[in-house]
Amino acid sequence: MKRVLLSLWYVVMSLFLVTLVQSSGLPLSDAVTDQPAPVDRAGSQTLHARYKTLVKQLTQLMPTQPYILVDTARNHLYIKRGDQVLLDAVASTGSGTILDKPGDSKGQWIFDTPRGEFAVQSRLTNPVWVKPDWAFIEEGLEVPKSQADRLESGVLGEYALGFGKGYFIHGTLYTRLLGKNVTHGCIRLNDDDLKSVYRLAKVGTPIMIF
Amino acid sequence: MTDPVALQEATRVLEEEIKLAARPQTYVFIDLASNVILIKGRGVELHRIPIESWSASHPDQMMASYRLRERPPVSRRKIDPAAGAEQEPISLVDMPTTYTLLFSSSLRILVFSNTEGDPWQWTMQRGRAWWRRLTVWGNMLRTGDPTLSPPSLDLTVSHEHAQSLAWTVVEGMPFLIRRSTP
Repeated sequence: MKRVLLSLWYVVMSLFLVTLVQSSGLPLSDAVTDQPAPVDRAGSQTLHARYKTLVKQLTQLMPTQPYILVDTARNHLYIKRGDQVLLDAVASTGSGTILDKPGDSKGQWIFDTPRGEFAVQSRLTNPVWVKPDWAFIEEGLEVPKSQADRLESGVLGEYALGFGKGYFIHGTLYTRLLGKNVTHGCIRLNDDDLKSVYRLAKVGTPIMIF
Repeated sequence: MTDPVALQEATRVLEEEIKLAARPQTYVFIDLASNVILIKGRGVELHRIPIESWSASHPDQMMASYRLRERPPVSRRKIDPAAGAEQEPISLVDMPTTYTLLFSSSLRILVFSNTEGDPWQWTMQRGRAWWRRLTVWGNMLRTGDPTLSPPSLDLTVSHEHAQSLAWTVVEGMPFLIRRSTP
């Protein structure tokens, strides 16, 4: 019994020491073992050449034209060309809230701005909002049967850039909410920034959202 | 780059990254050599998260790119149309600061936040790390096979950066790890 307790004590103490090393900010020794076998001089030159080729390949995949970058956590939209920032705009992105679909016990809408890479698919001037079902349901209203009852003009600003699945970069009447996560997934901007984005972005311009 | 081992590792990672960057997607690049987590797309750095400390087990097995199985749990507010009042949106502060990321192939990443000045959090986080090690060692003792435990990585970042990473990652997102060399 005494030996068992002693063994347990050693285990706990060694764990404690491991933890101390870890919390000191030093990588544990097992993190740097099992490295690839060293290469000879000729092999090193080949490796250098391969490395340079790969760096070039990766560079060629980077966008050469301006692209849109959206930071949904901090609610900013940037237009960048290479490392150069052409525009830094305060935006509003998805609220992350959920809404149950009536009559569907498992269905729900999640109001997130999608993450990933997209592209501008459409550029609209004076867009009209075709209100989806959730816009009525969240206000406790009946979903209209007529399409005409879904149309609402003047709420999306002067321009809208679609990037798929009903998501747009558009303007807003609620400029005081810019900088906050309040939308149903679209990206809102003030009028001036929206105009700049419309001017700089073409159909096909990449949109990176994280 | 003069160190041949570091060059080998950098080349391996570049080969993997080119595959990821060739597709329209964002991905996470964990660079243990530079102590940084990068959110990238098409090879471009979109966001940078400094790593304060890290440790890894079985880093030799961390060769592939990994797809995240599910994002850390987020407590979302539900809109109640009958209530009429608008629901508070979720924001960075709602994100967890300590969580585990699980992947489709066997890899486990534990993200811890810096607990400076908070002994309770420190104890909780270390407790989790101890428990994980105990279960790994228990499995090794039971089976006698050290390779049975999956590779794992513990990352410590600042409180805000832990939340930022939890916010950014989504289901199916690819992760790539560049290992440190001596």
